[in-house]
Amino acid sequence: MIQDVLFYLFAFMTLLSAVLVVANPVSRNPVTSAMFLVLTILFMAGLFVQLHAFFLAAVQILVYAGAVIVLFLFVIMLLDLKEEQSRRIGKLGSVLGLVSVGVVFVLFNRALSGLPAKVPGATGQPSLEGLTAPLGHALFKQYLLPFEILSVLLLVAMVGVILLSKKDLR
Amino acid sequence: MNVSLTILEIAVILLGLTILLVDLWLPTQYRRLLGYTAAAGVVAILIGSFWMPVGEAEFAFGRMYIFDPLALYFKRFFLLAAAIVLVLTVDFSERLPSGISEYYALSLFALSGMMFAASANDFILVFVALELITITFYILTSFQRNRLTSLEAGIKYLILGALATGFTVYGIALIFGTANATSFSVIASKTADLAGNPLFLLGTLLVLVGVGFKIAAFPFQMWAPDVYQGAPAPTAAFLAVGSKAAGMVLLLRILFGVIPQITINWTALLMAVSGLTILYGNLCAIPQRSLKRLLGYSSIAHAGYMLLGIIAVNQAGSTAVLFYLVGYLFTVLAAFGVICVVMRITDSDDLSAFAGLHSRSPLLAAALGFSMVSLAGIPPLAGFFGKFLLLRALLEQGTASHYWLALVALIGVAMSLYYYLGIVRTVYWTKAQSNDPIITVAGPIRCVLYGCIAAMLYLGIFPNMIVNAAVRASLAFQL
Repeated sequence: MIQDVLFYLFAFMTLLSAVLVVANPVSRNPVTSAMFLVLTILFMAGLFVQLHAFFLAAVQILVYAGAVIVLFLFVIMLLDLKEEQSRRIGKLGSVLGLVSVGVVFVLFNRALSGLPAKVPGATGQPSLEGLTAPLGHALFKQYLLPFEILSVLLLVAMVGVILLSKKDLR
Repeated sequence: MNVSLTILEIAVILLGLTILLVDLWLPTQYRRLLGYTAAAGVVAILIGSFWMPVGEAEFAFGRMYIFDPLALYFKRFFLLAAAIVLVLTVDFSERLPSGISEYYALSLFALSGMMFAASANDFILVFVALELITITFYILTSFQRNRLTSLEAGIKYLILGALATGFTVYGIALIFGTANATSFSVIASKTADLAGNPLFLLGTLLVLVGVGFKIAAFPFQMWAPDVYQGAPAPTAAFLAVGSKAAGMVLLLRILFGVIPQITINWTALLMAVSGLTILYGNLCAIPQRSLKRLLGYSSIAHAGYMLLGIIAVNQAGSTAVLFYLVGYLFTVLAAFGVICVVMRITDSDDLSAFAGLHSRSPLLAAALGFSMVSLAGIPPLAGFFGKFLLLRALLEQGTASHYWLALVALIGVAMSLYYYLGIVRTVYWTKAQSNDPIITVAGPIRCVLYGCIAAMLYLGIFPNMIVNAAVRASLAFQL
C-alpha cells in the first residue's frame, strides 16, 4: 500500500518537474529549468530505490544531480542566455511537439493494452539485487567486454575534448 | 572466456595506443608519416586475420561476442577500408590544423568499434560498439576546426546522433523488459513468443531507428549530406564505407539472425523505407554542385539499394548485401581519394574544380570516372554486379510488391545515371581553366587509386571469389 502511494507520488513529481524544465509558465530563466531538472533526477532516484536499485539511486544523485547539473549551471552562466529568456515557443513547434507526444502515447498505450498483466518470463524478483557487490560481479564477469570497450571510449572522448578545445592550433 | 578470439580488435587498439604514444617523441615533421605506419600495421593485421581458424561460430565473454565467418568477413572489410582511409589521410593531413597523430589514432579506435560491432551477439555490446564508432566520428568530423563548415557538420552530427542513440537505448530497454535478456542467442530462441508482444516490437523498432540512422536510411538521413560536405574528406570516406557497413552488419544480425519471423512480417514497412530512401537520395543528388554533398546523397540512395537485399530475407539477399558493400568500398574510396588530392590543390570540392581533370591528371580522372560509372551500376564494374545480385535476390521472392519495389529501384538507377555521368562529362569534356595547375599524385595514393580501379574491374568481371566468401559468411543465418 505505502509502496503504491510512494510510487505514484514519485512518478507524478518526476513528470511534473520534467514538464516544468521545458515549459515553465512562471519563469523562463534557464537556471530555474536546471533546478527543476535536479528535482526530476531526485524523484527518479526515488523510483530506483523502490526497484531495489540502491546503488543506481545513489549514483543517480551523486553523478547526475551533483556533477552533471553543476556542469550545466557552469555552461548556462558562462554563456549569456538573455536571448533564450525572451524567446517564445513558436505555435508550430508546440503543435508539432504535442502531436508527436500524442503519437508516442497512443503507440505505447496500444502496445501495453495488448499485453498480459505479467510479462512472460519475469520472475518478480530482480535478477540482480541493486547493491554494489553483485553489480561489480556482473560488471567484471558477464559484462567484462563492454566494460573494457568503454575504457577505450573514454580515452577517445578525452583525446577529442583536448583536441577540440586546445587554444593554439599548431 | 576465450579472449584469444578478440585478438584482431586488441591488436588494432594497441596499434592506436602506440601511435598516440610515439607521437610524444617524434619530431613534428615526421608525424604525418605515422599514417603510413598505421596503414602498414592495419594491413599486417588484415594479413594476420587469414591465419585465424574459422569454422563453426565460436563465442567469447559468455555469449556476448561471436566469431563466425560473417564476423571475419566484416572485420577484413573494415581493416581494408581503414588501411585505405589512413593512406588518404596522410595526403590530406596538411589541411588539418593540428593533432594529426591523434587523427590516425582515433581512426583506429573507430575501426576497433566497427570490428566489435561485426562480432556483437548482445544488445549491450551493440550499444557500446555503436557509441565507440559514433563518438569517434563526432571528433573526426569536426577535426578541421579552423573551418566553420567542419564544426557545423560536427555539431549537427552530434545532436542528431545523440537523438538516435536515445532511441536505441530506449529500444534496448524495452527489449530487455519484455525478453528478460539482451543476448541475441536467448532472444532468438524466444522470438516465437515475443513476435506477438507489441512492446517487444516497439523496442525492436526503436533499435532499428538507431541503426537506420547509421546507414542513413530514409526518415533518418537528414545528417548525411551536411556531414559529408563539412567533414574532412578522409572522415567522410570512412563514414561512407565503415560506418554504413557497421550499420548493415548489425541490421543483418538483428533482422536475419535474431528476429527473421518479424522481419518477414515487416516486409511492407521495410519496402516503404527502402523505396523512399532510393528515391530521396537520387532525386536530391541531381541538383548538387558540391561533389562531397552529392556523394552524401548518393550514399543515402545506396543504403536504399542495400535494403533491397534485406527485404528479400533469404541467404541470396544477405550474400548480395555483403558483395555490394565490398564493391561500394572500392568505388567510394576511389572517389574520395580523388577528392582528397584535388582539394589539396584547389581547396574546393565544387564540380567546377574537377572540370577538365583529364588534362590535369589522367589517373585522377580515370579513378573518378570509373568510380562514378560503378556507382551508377554500368557493366562491367563492381556496382553493376552488386545491383544485379540484389535485384535477383529480391525477385526470388516473386510477389507483386517485390516486383514493384524492383521497378522503383530501377527508376532510381536511371535517375542516378544523369548525375553520375554528368560528373564524368565534367571530368573529360569540360575545358579546364587555363591557370589550373597539373596535379601530381603522391606514390601511395597512386597505388591506392590503381588498386581501387583494378578491384572495381575485377569484382565486376570475376566476382566469384568475393561471392563465394559472401555465401560462406551468409551461412550464419538459418533462413
